[in-house]
Amino acid sequence: MTKPKLASVWLEACAGCHMSFLDIDERIVDLLKEVDLTSTPITDIKEIPEVDLGVIEGALGNDEEVEIAEEMRKRCKILIAWGDCAVFGGINCMRNFMKKEDVLREAYTDTVSTVNPEGTIPGEDIPHLLDQAIPVDRKVKVDVYVPGCPPDADTILYVFQEILQGRIPKVPVDMMRYD
Amino acid sequence: MSEITLIIDGKECKGVSGDTILEVALKSDVYIPTLCYLEGLSPMGSCRMCVVEVEGSNKLLTSCTTPAQDGMKVHTKTEKLYNYRKQILELLFAGRNHFCMFCSQSGDCELQTLAIEHGMDSVRYPFLYHDFDNDATSEHLQMDHNRCILCGRCIRVCAEKVGAHTLDYEKRGWNTKVISDIGAMLGDSNTCVNCGACAQVCPTGTITIREFVYRGRRNDCDEVVESICPLCSMGCKIKGYVRTGSLARVEGLNVTGPDGGQLCHKGRWWLPESTERKRLSVPMIREGTTFREASWEEALELAAGKMKEAHSKGHAGAIISGMSTDEELTLYSDVFRNSINMKYIDCFNGDVLRGFRKGFKPFIEQEVRPFTGAHNILESDLVLVIGADPQEEAPVTASYVRVNTVRNGGALVNLSSDKNPFGDIVDLDARISKEDLQKCIKNLVEAVSKGDTDKAGTGKMEELARMLLQASKPVMIIGGNVAKDPVVVTQVVNLAIASEGFFDDGLGVVPMVRSGNSLAALNTIVGDEPWVNEADIDCLFVSSTGLVPETPESLEAMSMSRFCVVQTPYMVHPLINMADVLLPAPAWYEKSGHFCTIEGERRTLRVIVPPKTELKGLSEVLSVITDKMGITLNSSDVRPCENIFQSKVSPDKARMAVLEEV
Repeated sequence: MTKPKLASVWLEACAGCHMSFLDIDERIVDLLKEVDLTSTPITDIKEIPEVDLGVIEGALGNDEEVEIAEEMRKRCKILIAWGDCAVFGGINCMRNFMKKEDVLREAYTDTVSTVNPEGTIPGEDIPHLLDQAIPVDRKVKVDVYVPGCPPDADTILYVFQEILQGRIPKVPVDMMRYD
Repeated sequence: MSEITLIIDGKECKGVSGDTILEVALKSDVYIPTLCYLEGLSPMGSCRMCVVEVEGSNKLLTSCTTPAQDGMKVHTKTEKLYNYRKQILELLFAGRNHFCMFCSQSGDCELQTLAIEHGMDSVRYPFLYHDFDNDATSEHLQMDHNRCILCGRCIRVCAEKVGAHTLDYEKRGWNTKVISDIGAMLGDSNTCVNCGACAQVCPTGTITIREFVYRGRRNDCDEVVESICPLCSMGCKIKGYVRTGSLARVEGLNVTGPDGGQLCHKGRWWLPESTERKRLSVPMIREGTTFREASWEEALELAAGKMKEAHSKGHAGAIISGMSTDEELTLYSDVFRNSINMKYIDCFNGDVLRGFRKGFKPFIEQEVRPFTGAHNILESDLVLVIGADPQEEAPVTASYVRVNTVRNGGALVNLSSDKNPFGDIVDLDARISKEDLQKCIKNLVEAVSKGDTDKAGTGKMEELARMLLQASKPVMIIGGNVAKDPVVVTQVVNLAIASEGFFDDGLGVVPMVRSGNSLAALNTIVGDEPWVNEADIDCLFVSSTGLVPETPESLEAMSMSRFCVVQTPYMVHPLINMADVLLPAPAWYEKSGHFCTIEGERRTLRVIVPPKTELKGLSEVLSVITDKMGITLNSSDVRPCENIFQSKVSPDKARMAVLEEV
């Protein structure tokens, strides 16, 4: 039997969840005996192949991220949302209290360090911002939620181990955190 | 009150009629999750977390507001309830900004704890992202409405316990918001007394205390020690949170008591601030305009030598802080009063305490306690404030007065030469100059005891006499300033007797004695005659807690004495400017002992964190000094609270004291 395959993406977030995943330290050796890492920010393989386990870190803030999330959903059997950003929207939601236009103006013209006398706001060659940053499950179905900012390494490993044993886990109360 | 029995989750639980389902459950250790409920405040039932199923009722009932009935069969942990509760939590999270990663209360938050407990791993509802203000105008408090769940705890504690009624709701539905006054910013509020009770009860990160954000969350702290606040004579019970060996935060403890666990602006802000002051860690000796470090041996040798010399000429004196513990006061009294019979010994606010001591004397001789626990103000139907400013002198007393007037419907009268400390809520406000006060109260006593209101005078005084005659349990609050005149104190106690202000524990009088342990100090340290600034002092021994500024009179006495030994925990000015020898002392959170409070209780001060430097305790310092002075120690039988706190005669048997005409 071939090993199950795993792919992960880093969307609108800080990469802290992937860092926390690496914090499982030497236990990654045992994990890799049971699962193949394919496309991840760690392996730097760009194309997401057909996989058993898909992981999304981060909220959805623009149309590219929505596309990646939809692609991941299509190519994976079980989708895991890692971290507060993917689960609730997280820190990206701070911009949701403003209008999209105000957010763009703030970022591209109004900040003190920006020199942009024409007030050009790029729109063609970069992904379009959504009106609000949203949790992953607002666009695609999520099978396992792992909240935390970031989730503990133990929690991330626990979720993988459960899935590899054939169960769809819920994060137990003593492992759950939102900060 | 008949006993009732409920079956909660199959367990037989006892309560009394009048209890709510939640109260019965709590008594039997049955856990029901709650958010808006807080012990000591009136239940509101707004958060719906405490819903339970009651057999025979087809709807869910909030256990915090539903009266328990005998024989009820209650279920608190069904799957249906669990799902409803989780749904409520998701709705709360979707309603406002409850993103924990950038909240200072994460870890201390009751909303977060409940969500984790209910396994809330996602939110099924659309987030609203309604942008509310963040009110940062108050000096210490921060109010972020985006994190508010509208539980109303802050509103209720402000109204029911502090009596300030600063906070309330505005608007409806999703736009509902907690406001101060009628839409003023918290920092601009006219009614807010800056006590921080709202922040103490807030279950989320809405109302937070800036200092505590970096000093440590409750969750970060290693230990919680129960103690009391020494700053005023109320001696409010506190919880001291210790983080890595230092006092990180202070909160009120007495949630079920009459004060509801509130602290005042002094306790809330001054106590934590006191841990950041510069400490005196080693003894110092003055050299010209500066100090040099010295050994304990050298410093005590010098201090004892000067004291001995001055005492032999009758020119030694001591000023002791009224925030010292009973045990310390006893020691001072044993050494200075009973062993060497030193004439000049007093407290920082000795004149006030002397006034109370002399004014109370005729009643203490009758073995009646001439005052009552301050919380009994809440039982009174008429509070008469005489030359007092309770919000400054003993702030929680002011809370009692406000609550009693606004919520309990008691009458409130102010008699003072100065401003009226209670503003609009006063029923009758009269300006009486200090000179006229004696006569005015004398007339009132006569009018009330004879039942003839004309004898009180005309206008407001006649009205006041009428109110006193009608009142069944009046309480008189005597301010420190007017108490300097013992005749006023005696007359006020007479007035309490005449108008039958009798309480179980004593007569209806509340003395504003300021410092934490003043009642013990006036029984031990305070002498009969004033001498500060009059006597010629060669060597003055000063013991200060460094927590509040010294009185101008005592500072003047220090500057006038030829040699000054100062014992203090902190390097505070101008106190240390006056010193020739500085002896380090433990701070309030480093020592233990007892305080006699105007709440009528002897309360315990505990060591919250042990001293970090080599400090000598008072008994050690004094025994070295007495040794070097060549004195044998006589201890007295009198213990600080013994006389003043024992009421052997029922208060209603008290007789008025006859005062000689001057």
